[in-house]
Amino acid sequence: MQALAVRGLCKQYPAFTLSDVSFSVEEGQIMGLIGRNGAGKTTTLKCLLNLVHPDAGEAVFFGKRFASAELEIKQQIGYVAGGIDFYGKKRLDAITSVTKRFYPTWDDAVYQECTRRFELDGRKTPEQLSAGMRVKYALTLAMSHHARLLLLDEPTSGLDPVSRDELLDIFLGLSREGVSILFSTHITSDLERCADGITYIRRGKVAASAPLNKFCSGYACLNLTENQLTDTVKARLIGMKPAKVGYTALIAPEDAQAMGLRAEPAGLETIMIHLEKEDAQ
Amino acid sequence: MKQLLYKEWRLALHPATAAFWALSAMVLIPAYPYGVIFFYSALGLFFVCLTGRENRDLHYTLNLPVRKGDLVRARMLFAVQAELIQLALVIPFMALRNALHIPPNPVGMDANIALLAVGFVLLGVYNLIFFTRYYRAPDKVGRAFVIGSMAQFAAIFVLEALTHIVPFFRERLDTPDPAYLGEKLAVLAVGGILYAGMTWLACRRAVRSFEKLDF
Repeated sequence: MQALAVRGLCKQYPAFTLSDVSFSVEEGQIMGLIGRNGAGKTTTLKCLLNLVHPDAGEAVFFGKRFASAELEIKQQIGYVAGGIDFYGKKRLDAITSVTKRFYPTWDDAVYQECTRRFELDGRKTPEQLSAGMRVKYALTLAMSHHARLLLLDEPTSGLDPVSRDELLDIFLGLSREGVSILFSTHITSDLERCADGITYIRRGKVAASAPLNKFCSGYACLNLTENQLTDTVKARLIGMKPAKVGYTALIAPEDAQAMGLRAEPAGLETIMIHLEKEDAQ
Repeated sequence: MKQLLYKEWRLALHPATAAFWALSAMVLIPAYPYGVIFFYSALGLFFVCLTGRENRDLHYTLNLPVRKGDLVRARMLFAVQAELIQLALVIPFMALRNALHIPPNPVGMDANIALLAVGFVLLGVYNLIFFTRYYRAPDKVGRAFVIGSMAQFAAIFVLEALTHIVPFFRERLDTPDPAYLGEKLAVLAVGGILYAGMTWLACRRAVRSFEKLDF
């Protein structure tokens, strides 16, 4: 079953347009939403929850349209925009005592387990927490009402590598329990570690939405010297850019093979950088 | 709605808002424009909305399983409760003033039942101006407050002036209780109806504006 199906989302601003964004997240899947800053990741997430009113399109959660089942859907999802950044001077206990009242499915045992596991002290305030702990508290709130789908907007930005790794372990654990995660980020290494699929947004449009391996296997990375840059080769390159020695570029693996060029598998970051470069060119 | 109201009292309430309720005791001041007491109610609600902005209250609440319009309705209901507390607290202090035999107020409306009607009107005017504007642009809460409180002060000036100019106000309403009790109770009822009407209209307009906003 699909946890989320996004169909034809559009939103027009004077300086930016989100065009026909469509993708889906299966139950238990971790989907990475990638794109450079300003590509439309946050706008997309906000459109899903109607925090930003889309001009067209719809979001269907667990088979139900958000527009017609908003409250029911909100009971089953958790939206985490970074870490907790509200009521910074209130104790976590106070925020929890208010939040839990909105969820009939709230599970105190899960809450206690999460606070113990994440070493969250209810007497502290969000302002007293590190960035990583704020994200953990936000996740704790979402997990305690048994959210089936987490929408996370750059949850690992600003975290140190250890905290990021710890969070990714948590995401993997949740995914194994059947929780679906849509996870926007521009830290592509995080997705390589945990995502099943990626949706790549470029300038407000979905450039690709596919399983991670399939997406990455569509590209190979070339390191080229000046002498190798013939017109035939140039015509097949994607997003060529200067490197410390020579040039780097993406190429379709079959083209590299056909031309006898030695290409290496391309990682998400390499793909993203070269595709963006191609756009700029 | 019950949960949202709980959130208002537990998280959103500003300490100054509660502290200002004590200013209902200003009716003990022998000579003072008592309408100003209700400005403090307005100021208290402004603090709630201002600190709400700093605390990102709207972002927190919008992510809860609630309808956008209910978020506005809960805040308005909270405002009504806070305002009614202010008004209700005026009553025991008026009784105390009478017990202390403090002479009638020479500045404006006396501390009597008609003052409560004045309070209703002043609070209704503020609600209508402030909340309508606030929910059009919650980030510009200061602007909504300046315009709302200017309208309220204009209303204070007019209502206090009436006690000097208009015979009905001067001779019947601006008198110690229980004189002209029937007229005062009728005016109180009119004040209550105006308050309810203006607050209802404010809520309707605020919900309509707020639902159109993007966050």
